[in-house]
Amino acid sequence: MAKVYFSTWKGEEVDNRTAEVDEWKESAYNLPEIYSVDQLSKAFIGWDGVAIFSPWVDVVRLATEYAAQYQVYSEACGRCAPGRWGGRILYDLMDKIARGDGDYSDIDHLKEVSKTMMETSKCEIGKTVPKPLLDLLDHFPDEFSRLIDNKEKSKDYDKINIDYIAKVTAPCTDACPAHVDIPAYIEGVRDLRFDDSLKATRQTMPLAHTCGRVCPHPCEDECRRINVDHPISIMELKRLGADYETDHHLNFQHPIKAKPKNGKKVAVVGAGPAGLTGAYYLALEGIEVDVYEELPVLGGEVAVGVPEYRMPIDKYNQDIEAVKDLGVNFITNHKVSADDMRRFEEDYDATLIASGTRLSKKVRAKNEVLTMPGYWGAIEFLDQVNLWEKYGIGEPVDLTDKTVVCVGGGFTSMDVVRCSIRANAKRVVMIYRRDEKTIIRNTTYEEYHEAVEEGVEFMFYSAVEEIIDTDGTLSSLKINKFELIPDPNGGRAQLVKIEDADFNIDTTYLIPAVSQSAEFSHLPKEWDFEMTSWGTLLTNSKDYMTSKKGFFTAGDCEYGPMTIVNAVGQAKRAASVISRYVHNQKITLTNDEIMEDHLRKMRVYDKKEIVTGWLPGLARQESEKLAVEIRRDNNKEVNLGFTQKEAMDEADRCMRCYYIAMIVV
Amino acid sequence: MTNFKIDGIDVQAKEDETILNVARRLSMYIPTMCYLEKTTPSASCRLCVVEVKGLDGAILSCQTKPTEGIEVVLNSDNLQNNRENIMRLYDVNHPLECGVCDKSGACDLQNKTLELNVDKQLFSAKDQSRKIEQWGLINYDHNLCIMCEKCTHTCNEIIGDDALDLRFGGYNSSIVPKNADYLDCTFCGECIAVCPVGALISSDFQYTSNAWELQKIPSTCAHCSAGCALEYEVKQTSSIENKADIYRVGNNYEYNTLCGAGRFAYDFDNKNTTKDLDEFSNAIDSFKKADTIEFDSIISNEEAYILQALKEKLGVKLVNKDAYAYQSFLRAYQSASGKLLYSGDLENIKNSDQVIVIGSRIATDNPAVRYHLTMAVKRNKANIIYFHPIEDKLMQNVVSDFIKYEAGSEEGVVALLAKVLIDENIVTNKTVKDFLSNLDEGNLSAQSNVGEEELALLAKKQLRAKVSTLIIGQDILGHRNANNIAKLVALIEKYTIYNVVIVPSKTNTLGVSLICDLDEKAKGYTVGYNIKADYTLSALGDGDLDMPALNQQEGTLTSLDKRVTPLNVAVPFGGFTLNDIANALGLYAKNTINYTVNLGEINGFKAISFDDLENFYSDLGEDIRGYVLNNITLDETSFELEDVEELPSFDGSVVYACEPVLEFNQFTHKSHQLKNQDVLLVGSAQFALASKINDGDKVKFEIDGTEYERIFKLDSELKGTIALNHTFDKENDASLYRFSQVKINKSEV
Repeated sequence: MAKVYFSTWKGEEVDNRTAEVDEWKESAYNLPEIYSVDQLSKAFIGWDGVAIFSPWVDVVRLATEYAAQYQVYSEACGRCAPGRWGGRILYDLMDKIARGDGDYSDIDHLKEVSKTMMETSKCEIGKTVPKPLLDLLDHFPDEFSRLIDNKEKSKDYDKINIDYIAKVTAPCTDACPAHVDIPAYIEGVRDLRFDDSLKATRQTMPLAHTCGRVCPHPCEDECRRINVDHPISIMELKRLGADYETDHHLNFQHPIKAKPKNGKKVAVVGAGPAGLTGAYYLALEGIEVDVYEELPVLGGEVAVGVPEYRMPIDKYNQDIEAVKDLGVNFITNHKVSADDMRRFEEDYDATLIASGTRLSKKVRAKNEVLTMPGYWGAIEFLDQVNLWEKYGIGEPVDLTDKTVVCVGGGFTSMDVVRCSIRANAKRVVMIYRRDEKTIIRNTTYEEYHEAVEEGVEFMFYSAVEEIIDTDGTLSSLKINKFELIPDPNGGRAQLVKIEDADFNIDTTYLIPAVSQSAEFSHLPKEWDFEMTSWGTLLTNSKDYMTSKKGFFTAGDCEYGPMTIVNAVGQAKRAASVISRYVHNQKITLTNDEIMEDHLRKMRVYDKKEIVTGWLPGLARQESEKLAVEIRRDNNKEVNLGFTQKEAMDEADRCMRCYYIAMIVV
Repeated sequence: MTNFKIDGIDVQAKEDETILNVARRLSMYIPTMCYLEKTTPSASCRLCVVEVKGLDGAILSCQTKPTEGIEVVLNSDNLQNNRENIMRLYDVNHPLECGVCDKSGACDLQNKTLELNVDKQLFSAKDQSRKIEQWGLINYDHNLCIMCEKCTHTCNEIIGDDALDLRFGGYNSSIVPKNADYLDCTFCGECIAVCPVGALISSDFQYTSNAWELQKIPSTCAHCSAGCALEYEVKQTSSIENKADIYRVGNNYEYNTLCGAGRFAYDFDNKNTTKDLDEFSNAIDSFKKADTIEFDSIISNEEAYILQALKEKLGVKLVNKDAYAYQSFLRAYQSASGKLLYSGDLENIKNSDQVIVIGSRIATDNPAVRYHLTMAVKRNKANIIYFHPIEDKLMQNVVSDFIKYEAGSEEGVVALLAKVLIDENIVTNKTVKDFLSNLDEGNLSAQSNVGEEELALLAKKQLRAKVSTLIIGQDILGHRNANNIAKLVALIEKYTIYNVVIVPSKTNTLGVSLICDLDEKAKGYTVGYNIKADYTLSALGDGDLDMPALNQQEGTLTSLDKRVTPLNVAVPFGGFTLNDIANALGLYAKNTINYTVNLGEINGFKAISFDDLENFYSDLGEDIRGYVLNNITLDETSFELEDVEELPSFDGSVVYACEPVLEFNQFTHKSHQLKNQDVLLVGSAQFALASKINDGDKVKFEIDGTEYERIFKLDSELKGTIALNHTFDKENDASLYRFSQVKINKSEV
């Protein structure tokens, strides 16, 4: 709900032009009334209407500037005839009226060109830019005719102290925590320009191989194609550009040429997705980066957590090589200590803490002794599996004749059970408190389905009550069964234990994979970092600076255990803030970042929108997966990725839902 | 199959067909400005929008596959209104220079403006002035460009140069050289062909003729064995005499593609010839006393047939070195495969998802093969594994794995390939089984320098491949153990999913090798045809008796695609032909092409007369030129395999015979747009150091009795110790092994 003077946003008609301020009707939408801490918005104009917050807004200039923004955007486009010329004509005509040279025929031509643009443009920008302009023409006809009749300039035409701040977005881009320019990389696939595709991805996402394979793709839940039939297979299309670069041994396709070194230095703690991303964008900005990593290998949880069959290490190493290619310095086998951190404060211009969450949480069962033989934390288990399978470090995990019980329900637990199958376990059981639907929602359908195929036994509505040992060694588990009892008052259904349904499972290893927490022994006590209630570093989720000046954080140690793409998004933002901070010791966001946050708050995707101009019923492509008998006992990559034909068919379904939003301050 | 309706008519879409494809197949018209059949749609013009009953909004037909049961409407008042407006937008500020524009009369913008009744302009935008770019053979005029993206799609998806890029800028958008200030490409000129307006044009052709004054003569390109279809665009230059010049070359760019030699090296005709009766009788006398007729493969099938008939008639030896090498290779191949011909063709390469190229600098040896490799990469994500001693920068966009081997070790490399690719469990033939099991892989790998891990990677990639092609280049044909290699190639074809293409080294090498019974060596008094000899017939115009070039005569060629395609007369020839000589020597045919039907006597060929041969692509892109040879199964064949021979390595200064882009031979070099091309020896810094020469030095060396004088050019992108030696200015003997150890001498300045 926002207080507006006038709004046509998403089809509403709020018109307070004749009302007193205290009687103004509110908009039904969460519109950006306040631009930033020290600036109010005067108007917001976008793909689905216009909202004006102040009676003093010059609507003709507002329309002209929005048309001008389309020209600015089309500096990056020009890909279709209606948009390329139509956009220019829109602007020329609007400007002609605004400067006092207009005619009524100009309005007719404006409407005519708008109609063709809205019906035939290649992307949604061309289709939607005319909409708020027509709204203004319809609702403020007098403003336009006065200028035409009197041949006068609009009142703010020559004013220079008004900022018109615009941003291009798309529903998928908005939903992606890393705000990847998804339509651009899909366009690269459609045009068979894989280098362009990869460059588009790497603008905000350096881990293209990785997030083309193991991203849980929140973007696909906010893909506008859902309103037509099924979402685009966004994640898998990302892989094409990365694979092309690797397969053809091309030089790394960086989004921009790295700026020359400017003498500033940043330390990064942890070489996981957040650390790598931070390092990548800092290095592109000409900053020298030292990344400290506790493990002997780079990559963090994606390297030692995510198994080879999901994320082949040679592909991940390509992503890491792209970071190295920019001259980032990596120091492995170095667990950062509090003393190191004190030294960083002296030696570096800023520090980015990206140390993740590497402590396995307990399952909270009776007799849960962490040191009991047979009790094996998920992180430790996966470390051993992956260090051996990917790097030949340590020793293999052999579970022949063993029974493994994993308690979990998220991605980590899926990795545990599927690795256990591959380590030749006799029986692998997943204990999960909720149902099948929830486990799919928390992971992916593919992940769950593939685990079932491979022979994992899923026990839903179950929990471990007690760990039973024989002479101190774990030997079996007592399991409780639950059922979901609906609340008669319509509230949330409750899990209720079923009496007399307990049973025991003979167990060799219990692997808890319920969640992980952060380990912060490296934070100097005297700096007294502010923490969240769930034990991670506190920030404002915008600039990612901790309570200690010059110390930033990103990824799981900020958010709690979350996705790779979340870590990338946070680290990208943190790197941007740091890249300015190291020069001026100020914490600032760019207009683009402020707009990004506004749009995310508003949500670009509208699941109720009726989409026209696209033929429904075109199937979402599914890539080929290795058959279960071929993959179950080894580390071969399960998802073979799209064939070129599948990729092209899938890319053709993308509707290029770009939009322009603009705020006047 | 998807059943749906277009304008009320029941239609069916095949797999992968869009609404536009189906409509076009059924001759139902949808206008387009940016659609090009051979590339992915750029979807920029938006003219092809259609309506679907029950759905709001316009659907883009070029990019949308139909779904079951939809009812498509191609025309409505609203669609017409939008299409008219789009054309108005296209016409905003398009310069009104049709009077002098090269494209005028054949311009899509003119045609569509007329077709969509754009008789008044509602819109205007601020004009902009931009200068014309001059990129050598190609000029680009920003002001005329409509940003249809056909050129960029073609350059990237078909050619593989990826040299053109879009500079986005809305109304200011334009086409620019990709990552460069100046166009750096292979100058195939295909961007000129696909340009629907006069934005990209041939700098040589500009302002020389109106499109409607040119007569189009369909023919087959004479420069390499790809046998590409082209049209010589010809204008009479005299109203009295029968004189004509070729002004430019066009092609059916919707479906096929030409390289720069085909497009720009068209005026190789033997000019100003007359019927010199005295010289003609000298020629007859020479034939009568000849012991040998020697010729090269840049001749038609019919001429080859005549020469074979003369051999039989006169009892002379018939020598053609490169066709002899090809013929021997083919015979050895036949002995192991039991087939007359290799199984692959260009289409097969394009459809492959794994291709191995071995023994060829394929981008310049046969550009058409390169284009089909590019298409395979772009369309099928194909793995292109390129085995060669020298890396080729032109192939960088295409090749996924470059595997370097030592010059001379081709036999070992093919043997290793056979070992990796053939599943020995399915081999029953004892010879083959023994050969494979006795192969000393370690030793071969060490000798050839092809690593076992490289072969393992190849085998791994092979697992997902469904269509694969093995391309055998000219290096192999000249190898001293070519025959053994030929059998191994046949076995790979027989026992794996691989199709094979054996690239013929010259224009009609395949045809000649099938038609003529060739002798290995010349002896005694020799009459040469396009080969310098005791008496020389020459289409180059430098012999004793002039002969017509391949753009001056009717006949057929046999291409790498195993297709027999027609040649037509583009420019008149005033002298005598080989048929005239044959007639004087006791054969009889009114015209050379009377022999076309006789080719049917030869294995693989068909008895079809010249006038019954078609020469076009169908509206749907089907190649209907001439006919495809029958790949017949041969009677009982048998073969032996030799053990792989250990060969001495190449040391010191080694040069490799190959041509730069655009050039193939003396005919291409004769054309006025290419005749100033430098003839060079191109080498790396390492080569320069080893041979004690510097960039720009004049150098001399000798290969197999032929003296070469070259300017040395240092190429910083070249690696290794082998230099590239251009041979297009000479009679190049394609039967020679292409690597030679030479002694380089600096010439006096």
